[in-house]
Amino acid sequence: MELLIPVIKISVVLGVLLGVVAYTVLVERRVAAAIQNRVGPNRVGWNGLLQPLADVIKLVMKEDIVPKQANRFIHDLAPMISMAIALITFAVIPFGDSITLFGQAIKLQIASVNIGILYILAMTSLGVYGITLSGWSSNSKYSLLGGLRSSAQMLSYELAMGLSVIGVVMIAGSLELDKIVQTQHGWMWNILLQPVGFVTFVVASFAETNRHPFDLPEAEPELVGGYHTEYSGLKFGLFFLAEYTNMVTSSAVITTLFLGGWQIPYIGLAGLPAFWVSILQVLAFCVKVYLLVLFFIIIRWTIPRFRYDQLMNLGWKVMLPLSVLNLLVTGLVILYL
Amino acid sequence: MDNPPSTSKSMTPDSQPPIIHKKDLSFLDRIYIPQIVNGLRITITQIFRPKFTRQYPEERWTPPPSFRGRPVLVEQNGVERCVACGLCARVCPALAIEVQGSETELLKERYPVKFEINMLRCIFCGFCEEACPEEAIVMSQEYELTFTSQDDAVFGKEKLLMSVEKLRDRLEFLRKNR
Amino acid sequence: MAKITIDGKEFDADPKQTIIQAALDQGISIPHFCWHPKLSVAGNCRICLVEVEKMPKLAIACSTLVADGMIVKTESAKVVNAREAVMEFLLINHPLDCPICDEAGECKLQDYAYRLSVGVSRFDFNKVRKPKRVELGPNVTLDTERCIMCSRCIRFCDEIAKETQLVFTQRGDHVELTTFPGEALDNPYAMNTIDLCPVGALTSSDFRFKARVWEMSSTESVCQGCSRGCNTKMWVRNNEVLRLTPRFNASVNDYWMCDEGRLNTFKHVNAETRFKAPMIRKQQGLVEVGWDEAIARVVSELRSFKGHEIAAVASAFATNEDNYLFVKLMRHLGVGKVVYLPHVKRGDQDDILIREDKTPNSCGASAVGATALPEHGPLAGLLEEIQRGVIKALYVVDDDILTDPVAAEAFSRLDFVVAHASNDNGVSALADVILASSTYAERHGTMTNFQGRVQRIRPAVATAEQDRALDGFSMSRLDKFGSHNDRWMRGARRDARPTWRILANLAGVLGAKWKYATVEDVFAEMASTLPAFKGLSYQRVGSQGVVLPANQETPASVQR
Repeated sequence: MELLIPVIKISVVLGVLLGVVAYTVLVERRVAAAIQNRVGPNRVGWNGLLQPLADVIKLVMKEDIVPKQANRFIHDLAPMISMAIALITFAVIPFGDSITLFGQAIKLQIASVNIGILYILAMTSLGVYGITLSGWSSNSKYSLLGGLRSSAQMLSYELAMGLSVIGVVMIAGSLELDKIVQTQHGWMWNILLQPVGFVTFVVASFAETNRHPFDLPEAEPELVGGYHTEYSGLKFGLFFLAEYTNMVTSSAVITTLFLGGWQIPYIGLAGLPAFWVSILQVLAFCVKVYLLVLFFIIIRWTIPRFRYDQLMNLGWKVMLPLSVLNLLVTGLVILYL
Repeated sequence: MDNPPSTSKSMTPDSQPPIIHKKDLSFLDRIYIPQIVNGLRITITQIFRPKFTRQYPEERWTPPPSFRGRPVLVEQNGVERCVACGLCARVCPALAIEVQGSETELLKERYPVKFEINMLRCIFCGFCEEACPEEAIVMSQEYELTFTSQDDAVFGKEKLLMSVEKLRDRLEFLRKNR
Repeated sequence: MAKITIDGKEFDADPKQTIIQAALDQGISIPHFCWHPKLSVAGNCRICLVEVEKMPKLAIACSTLVADGMIVKTESAKVVNAREAVMEFLLINHPLDCPICDEAGECKLQDYAYRLSVGVSRFDFNKVRKPKRVELGPNVTLDTERCIMCSRCIRFCDEIAKETQLVFTQRGDHVELTTFPGEALDNPYAMNTIDLCPVGALTSSDFRFKARVWEMSSTESVCQGCSRGCNTKMWVRNNEVLRLTPRFNASVNDYWMCDEGRLNTFKHVNAETRFKAPMIRKQQGLVEVGWDEAIARVVSELRSFKGHEIAAVASAFATNEDNYLFVKLMRHLGVGKVVYLPHVKRGDQDDILIREDKTPNSCGASAVGATALPEHGPLAGLLEEIQRGVIKALYVVDDDILTDPVAAEAFSRLDFVVAHASNDNGVSALADVILASSTYAERHGTMTNFQGRVQRIRPAVATAEQDRALDGFSMSRLDKFGSHNDRWMRGARRDARPTWRILANLAGVLGAKWKYATVEDVFAEMASTLPAFKGLSYQRVGSQGVVLPANQETPASVQR
């Protein structure tokens, strides 16, 4: 029984996560089309709902091309690293409080780690390996430049990211994500307590996930496809999925840290049965995460890409001092109030 | 002194976009966030605007007579007007047209025993139509071309012939705009 | 000498010359339709009107003799105006059916209409209708409406072909060109009227509607019909020879060539009977093989015979270089005598162009060391030796020596027959190995005509291993811009080689150290080793040919 529950949790979360990721690709295309007054993919299935399936079939059927001088082993390994890291991060996200099923109280989190935040930061740092290795192993100038840009960019923004999280940790007094969510009851969402931290964290998240306006590692006009230029078929598909998984995971982390996680303000006042409250909380978490995903998507079609020097300026000269300042102010406030 | 080229003449300093220096920006401009919000407002309102997309296979477009679709041979009274003079082939900048003439009992003496257009080479420039002394090759309104091999893309007479009734719009347009 | 000025250019001219000829000698071209340098002056087209100072009216340049102190203007306002009027007049009854006319593209009337005419007509009555598609003779089709009554064709038949067959009937704008009653335009030079005709009235029945002239490339060549060796142009489209036209050479053929040469010396190039690759006779018959295999077979067979057991037959159809290398190779093998078969048609000769000797290079074959077989019963001695078993192998180059059934019977006794052949013929039917040789339209080389004049032939049709662009062929627009997947670039190409190269390949396998990269190397060797060709080079041969040193004493009048 102790083994069965985690296995079920993992399968459910993994299944839902992959499903959401697949449909996020479709959503992105439909949203992009709508913003440009187009229709978007609407041919496969009703309103294009089977498009993700068609995409996957296409990617699986395609030939896997590896450049002649590439390092075959690492070339194969890189997309796996990217995808695995993107999925693993989700393990510590609490997507609900706890639910009582068949007389058993089940925690709605795969792994309740007491250093949850550190785990997340560690995993996102590992994510850079997938991209850097793919860039290096392809033996192509475009891939290599993409990989280099990616590692530099991730290193730069990780600092700001880490520092802006510390404010949240200081308020909660814990590294455990569940605890952080618990402290954000009522109106006390961290977005209100830590507005500056929120902004820096969101910006850093965009940079970490290589999303617009920070998608320099795959900047098409300059680098063809960036680090995944020399990838095709399923391996390309893995990179593609990893990018979207990262987006969903980042949204989940932001939700957890700043938007109250699964919390619904003042739901206790409604006097609902505990089971339904739990279900509603899970739904609330999902809605918050997906609104953030939509935000990620709309931003991509709104803001043009940064130049590389602007990116670095922003990271080192704005984000870093800002998060340090935020940290200081938070410390002072906690100390003296 | 050389006169500046006309393009630079028309580009007066007024019409050029103003150069913005970083020091001119206000604090709100520099933190960039209001700009992002404004951008988001624009993109989000665009989502609810009507779509321009034409649902192609179901909704088809009927081109105006000025449209240059695939070139066709005009068929009148059951025979092509073409006399195989080869001017279309000569004027074709892409060398898409190949004509082989032969003798016929008809009054026109000469007819194309072979008339082939390689639609992979054709660039739809309409020079053939312009050069034709017999108004025998015209640009139709057909724009749907698919082939599965290079040889399929070479259209012979059987695919090129089109009755004069179907081409009335284009012929009228040509006469008006000669 | 008369001192005259044409368009401000002052020079001396022969007073017996007309203005048009004197101007042409100075590179000034005065427009003309009816005038031709080799025909009498008719002066009926009026397009050559020029202004001569102190003459009250414009004069026609073709019949006005040069006089001392004459000042001629060919581009003055008066002249231009007069030409415009003449052009308008000529075009009144011309049908303007250039799209269907074979002359379009090389038509004088078309060219002048663009250059000299105003481009509009004030004539809005119906044009005169006359017979079209008239078969004037076996080879010439007439469109009477297109005729501008210049009478060049009539004068050609009277003065050059010496057969009065054509005439004008009717008057005014009803004038019609026609043959005399019961006559046909069937003289052996009739098709020259097609070249002479400045419009599309007389066109070739053979070439009718085959191609537009601008689609073809033209290559300088020499006619293979008889030992005259008329200079020709070979017109090719899609790797197929479509027509031959004469090329001017004052010492050989002037502007003319005979119908026989024009029609019957190129059709074998693209015939179905061409060999597409070398062949070896095996149990199932002739089988196409690669060049290496065919040559290895020939070498191993030839090695098994003694020199005197091989009969070597050169050819009066092959080039000088081919025959030279053949003689050289046979000497290397120890063959004592190389012969060739003359093809003479006694009585088929005139004092215009046509010669009795129907081969283009018998003179050259003799000059490089091959001996002509006797004209009557030419193979008798050879056949007798075969029957006696003295000769066991036969090597034939580019000629069909199978003259009669007796020869066929004799040849079938031979142990080994190898033939260079471009087309299926009598000898190739018996041969054990056929080395597919290219035709004269596919090879470089020289031919020596009956005057001893060495003239060049150039390839116009590409074989499988040639490339029009890389091998310096003349190219049409289609050739220049076509690619391999265009249908008009897919003309038949055969894996044939010129005889000299086959022989050089053979010699290489036989162990002879010959080094010829091009046929010009062979000619250079001939020029240094053979006294007859001493000091010659392709550059000296040029496009008009050069007479062998030994033949230079013969006066030109005898050569005619």
